Amino acid sequence: MSTPDEIVAKELTRLSANFLEHLPQELRAVEDEVTAWLDAPQNTRRFEILSHRVHQLKGSGSTFGCPGISRAARMLEQRMGDLRREIDAGQRPATTDVESAMAQLQNEGRRAQTRLRRQEGGK
Amino acid sequence: MRDRDLNRILYVEDDADIRKIVCMSLEMIGDYTVAACGSCADALQVVDDFDPDLLLLDVMMPDVDGPSTLRKLRRRETAADAPAVFITAKVQAGDMEHYGRLGVVDVIVKPFDPMTLSERIDHIWQRYRNDGHVHTG
Repeated sequence: MSTPDEIVAKELTRLSANFLEHLPQELRAVEDEVTAWLDAPQNTRRFEILSHRVHQLKGSGSTFGCPGISRAARMLEQRMGDLRREIDAGQRPATTDVESAMAQLQNEGRRAQTRLRRQEGGK
Repeated sequence: MRDRDLNRILYVEDDADIRKIVCMSLEMIGDYTVAACGSCADALQVVDDFDPDLLLLDVMMPDVDGPSTLRKLRRRETAADAPAVFITAKVQAGDMEHYGRLGVVDVIVKPFDPMTLSERIDHIWQRYRNDGHVHTG
């Protein structure tokens, strides 16, 4: 019979696998939302929805075994905040930092997928 | 309130997977009774029947965030004095002072290890019972 710790650890493993499986789809959705926001960066509601999505990735990445995703999501969140402040200050926004942080997040996603395939291949 | 043992935790978190693993951890490892809610509205629906000993809230939630959820819960008699713990990925300078005024006794920073979360909650509760001080570190 399994102990409570073993049951929770097993569920954590299952949820981590589920997180990884849905990660490419989630990152595509984030990238689409980043692109849409950069097309109209004054759109506050779009910024809030995107921010929340990136914030969730930051929180769940490490919990579900992908600390690189959390780090990249934190960087994207910071860059988005910087851009938002530039817009609020009436400056002409430079979008390249946000785009490069998004590219880094996609790279981390690919790394995570590669690691998953290696683990599956090793079973 | 401080003489009570910790049994019932009202937990509010919008991320379904995080909510699930935290709930399992608190119930199975910590042996607590947990009411897990996905939003402020859910929490307001269950709080009176549940009569929580402790409120555990994610800070960044869509529509109604953790601090606003806590303010709404404080208007209910069953949660007016219950100590609260926030879970957040980001603590900024000055946040703890603001949180302390809302009755937040500690903040758990994401990412956290679900396997040791119950131990952490127990530690926070013991410290609250002993001195009631708000943790500011």
